[in-house]
Amino acid sequence: MNNNWLLRVRNLTKIYGEATPGVLERTGPKFDTNICSKTGAVVAVNNISFDLYPGEVLGVVGESGSGKSTLVQMLYFDQEVTAGEVNFKPVEEGNVNLFELSNQKKRYIRNHLMGMVYQNPRDGLNFRFTSGGNIAEKLLMANVFHVGKIRIRGADLLTKTEVPIQRMDESPARFSGGMQQRVQIAKAIANKPPLLLLDEVTSGLDVSVQAKVLDLIRGLQQDLGVSMIVVSHDLGVIRMLTDRTMVLKHGQIVEQGLTDQILQDPQHGYTQLLVSSLL
Amino acid sequence: MGLLLEIVDLEKRFELHILNEKEIDALHQVSFNVNEGEVLALTGNSGSGKSTLMKCIYRTYLATSGRMIYRDGQGAVIDLASATEHEVLRIRRTEMTYCSQFLQVIPRVPAIDVVASGLVARGRTIEEARRATSVCFERLSLPAELWDAYPSVFSGGEQQRVNIARAMISRPRFLLVDEPTASLDITTKDAVIDMLLELKQAGTSIILISHDEHTLRRMSDRSLHLENGRLKEAVVYA
Repeated sequence: MNNNWLLRVRNLTKIYGEATPGVLERTGPKFDTNICSKTGAVVAVNNISFDLYPGEVLGVVGESGSGKSTLVQMLYFDQEVTAGEVNFKPVEEGNVNLFELSNQKKRYIRNHLMGMVYQNPRDGLNFRFTSGGNIAEKLLMANVFHVGKIRIRGADLLTKTEVPIQRMDESPARFSGGMQQRVQIAKAIANKPPLLLLDEVTSGLDVSVQAKVLDLIRGLQQDLGVSMIVVSHDLGVIRMLTDRTMVLKHGQIVEQGLTDQILQDPQHGYTQLLVSSLL
Repeated sequence: MGLLLEIVDLEKRFELHILNEKEIDALHQVSFNVNEGEVLALTGNSGSGKSTLMKCIYRTYLATSGRMIYRDGQGAVIDLASATEHEVLRIRRTEMTYCSQFLQVIPRVPAIDVVASGLVARGRTIEEARRATSVCFERLSLPAELWDAYPSVFSGGEQQRVNIARAMISRPRFLLVDEPTASLDITTKDAVIDMLLELKQAGTSIILISHDEHTLRRMSDRSLHLENGRLKEAVVYA
């Protein structure tokens, strides 16, 4: 039953600067810093391990600089890893470390098997293309070449994410923040990936728009049964979307548990502070 | 009757790091058994630890020490105090539900879907689930014009009915209910009790927290009394 995971992450580490021996031991919440006292290297992600199950939604919470975005960016190959292994069931039955694969194979995984939604829509969308074009780009990368089919699928996805299809041929640059985020979500799910990574997707949106985006994500998760990693500093978002939560501080997991337990019976001082800071 | 849950030396202490390491002792050496198919009532004053105990079993609270040996529907034995989160999620999804004292729901979900989603998660279609939910709401006399409204705007009694419906709808094997009848009139109270007793007839084991004499008299097979986080002698109703 322990073999039931979709994604298995082991000892994932990211160091900016020199990876000298002992650097991981000299940083973290115990030292209240992620900067190595000897070399000045910054440990963004420090030895993180977890399993994600099919259909599961995992929350990653922590303040700015805790390493949560770096974590998902490494999973999406946006950033090089310093050390660690990731196995992913759809790739060779999970028997291979994704970071050892060729760039071509990594690109395949990004385009076919994962979707990413960034905090800033400019990171996930190309503003020189139309919104339909952005989705087409993702479909093309996954080898869908029939123009008519791309068009229909694009309209379909935009309808699902409640972007008016009359505006399909406009650049997302002319859209509101909430609508840009919905185009990004449409693009991320275009190839029906089994894994969706969401990095602070509602930060910076006003509350009513935030609510709509969250409802959309929740609905998609239920309809598609996709596994998700939801990164947020907002415990409200975590409460609404996730089953399980990891709390990160200075690159390390300080606490993990069922989301209701993290919110109602936080064990670590830092989590208690986060929960008590909830409005 | 088989044993469902065996609680041994359960302790719960809250350590508040942000309040100068203040400690709150909530449960001391709590040991008891729950038999299959029985209604076990927990009684005691406010603050005596009843809800804490229930939340420890559901794993919303982490036990500080002790064991909670649970026999699941397949006959597997797991310690709810130390089981992995995935194991607890599986038990919650397949057989254990919890009705908290106050309704906590995801915002902007209509009442009918709050309840129906419990069945959808167990593989039923949304149409089937909504039909079953309608029947349940009707029995609980929840006005039909509220079914597609958001429970956050409901009265206390209306919220409590949504809450109890959500916990009962999947006909769980093990049900934890915290004050299910507290804010209800006598007719609705009896409707809730009837439905809980039907579940029991069908084999559900129930732990019930209640201050209400009427509810206790009608429902409980056995009761345990908590005082300052410690168990006192049992009372047998009937």
